Amino acid sequence: MEYRQTLEVQRSVHALRRTGKVPDVVLTVEHDPVFTRGRTARPLEYRVPLDVVLRAGIPVVDVERGGDITYHGPGQLVAYPIVDLRQHGRDVKRYVGTIEEAVIGALAAFGIEAARRPGFPGVWVQEGKIASVGVYVKDWVTRHGLALNVGVDPAHFGMIHPCGLAVRAVSMNELLERPAALRDVEVRLVESLAHGFGWRLELREPDELEE
Amino acid sequence: MNQASTQVVLPDLGEVDGAVVVGWLRCVGDAVQEGDDLVEVETEKTTFVVSAPASGRLAEIAVGEGKRVQVGDRLGNITGG
Repeated sequence: MEYRQTLEVQRSVHALRRTGKVPDVVLTVEHDPVFTRGRTARPLEYRVPLDVVLRAGIPVVDVERGGDITYHGPGQLVAYPIVDLRQHGRDVKRYVGTIEEAVIGALAAFGIEAARRPGFPGVWVQEGKIASVGVYVKDWVTRHGLALNVGVDPAHFGMIHPCGLAVRAVSMNELLERPAALRDVEVRLVESLAHGFGWRLELREPDELEE
Repeated sequence: MNQASTQVVLPDLGEVDGAVVVGWLRCVGDAVQEGDDLVEVETEKTTFVVSAPASGRLAEIAVGEGKRVQVGDRLGNITGG
């Protein structure tokens, strides 16, 4: 799905959550290729000249989430939890920890051992970074969220230093003998998030959220 | 003239080790309404929007972009109403 389109969906669900018209929601999506630059992005984060990025036809979008530049694209599962933190302890650090632990739990279901690294938000395996986080909080309600690499084109990732770090981005399928289907990872991740936040799940389309 | 003054402080964000001011969304002298987005801070890869605690005029920006602040620190001042 085109990035800016999902940004609009996020913003409208965020507004509904802030006014209490919907419960906590998690949106999941697989994006068309895009680089997004968070609030603390710096120009040095491209590994290749910017015109090479632009010639590849990958849009670059400035967004309000925290963090630096990141890539989204096919083979990556993106989850946007729209959560009212007033009902989850009003703690930004705990929130980020909860979504990181949810990713770790989902990866474990596929036999992948992953961990958090103190001081380096995201989820890590021995080979590098497998999931990124970047969050925006207004009126204690979150948007943006996490991106888990299931089977991403490494050539696209190679254009940037993910999140400003000179680290390797790793996909689940590099670590698995039998590639995981994005849809299966999605189910596990959403279940894992529900466990972390104490949700009872109900499946809805974005335009069916309000009752 | 004696005008009421309200401090803008960094709210309790939980177990975080402070935050960095990303940018002010309003300028000194701007009229603001209580609840308006005022300043963004970042911690734990999270942008947190601090809203105006009162209506009035943004009289002072005490902490500028790029500076580290702790929970409870004064970020600025709003006067009048």
